[in-house]
Amino acid sequence: MIPGESPVTDAAPPPEDRQRGRIDPKLLELLVCPLTKARLDYDADRQELVSRSARLAYPIRDGIPIMLPDEARPID
Amino acid sequence: MFEDKSRRRNPSATTMDDEDRRRRHSGAAPVASASPPRLDEAAVLAAYSRWAPIYDWVFGRVFDAGRKAAVEIINRRRGALLEVGVGTGITLPRYAPHLTVTGIDLSPAMLAVARRRVEAGGIATVAALHEMDATCLGFADGSFETVAVMYTITVVPHPDAVMAEVERVTAPGGEAIIVSHFASESGWRRAIETALTPFTKKLGWRPDFPIDRILGRPGFELIETKRLGLFGIFTVARLRRKAD
Repeated sequence: MIPGESPVTDAAPPPEDRQRGRIDPKLLELLVCPLTKARLDYDADRQELVSRSARLAYPIRDGIPIMLPDEARPID
Repeated sequence: MFEDKSRRRNPSATTMDDEDRRRRHSGAAPVASASPPRLDEAAVLAAYSRWAPIYDWVFGRVFDAGRKAAVEIINRRRGALLEVGVGTGITLPRYAPHLTVTGIDLSPAMLAVARRRVEAGGIATVAALHEMDATCLGFADGSFETVAVMYTITVVPHPDAVMAEVERVTAPGGEAIIVSHFASESGWRRAIETALTPFTKKLGWRPDFPIDRILGRPGFELIETKRLGLFGIFTVARLRRKAD
């Protein structure tokens, strides 16, 4: 973290979807699972990218997908 | 060391960039792990986390010749661009509007700076920023017409693995643009490099890679190299992806 980090305050507040870290589903078509290189499913509610083949859910935080297996949530 | 990643949940939670990891895992049960932390990576991440707030001010000018040369080449190209090791996004405002830019970096602190830069500057060329390991890219084969790797290849613990991934995601006929320091064999350049070593070590630089090891990939054809900057200690190299 950057010391003193705070949201941008000198401009209009970003749109709600941006604040909540939602990203354009079109962009997600480019992404594959880093481990299996298979396609991902976007879970908009949980803000996760789900790799069924690796049984991992990659989180999206602040609009940035965290495509690191170590950071992913194992799923059944 | 990457093959069993899916089995190890966050093995280095106490060593890698603590602040970020705490934020991420708040509310989660502590994860016990016997696996050793990835020391190289942890040290580099920690260094970039510390440097993120002042990185541009300190290093912007030193590295600018290489960025300028690379951006010039890149802006003549079309289509999708991937910048590997996008860092604070210092080059993002310079890309021509006809490009579609994706940036990746391993450091969340650096990416946070990049994201603020993109939002504050309304940089429309940037389609996405992802936190990704350059040795384990989450893109399909041949996804990008251009892949840029600037001042990154000598920082990562596994440059060969990075180049293999760069090769994979570059479209046939596409180009990879590599800006790096490559070890000089002899003479005055080598003397300068030796003098700079204590300084560059702090950022995880290991400037001892022979150029062939990075650029000599089977799927790439080296089409141009150019020395840059005040003493020519940095090189920009263009690699063309052969058709499969």
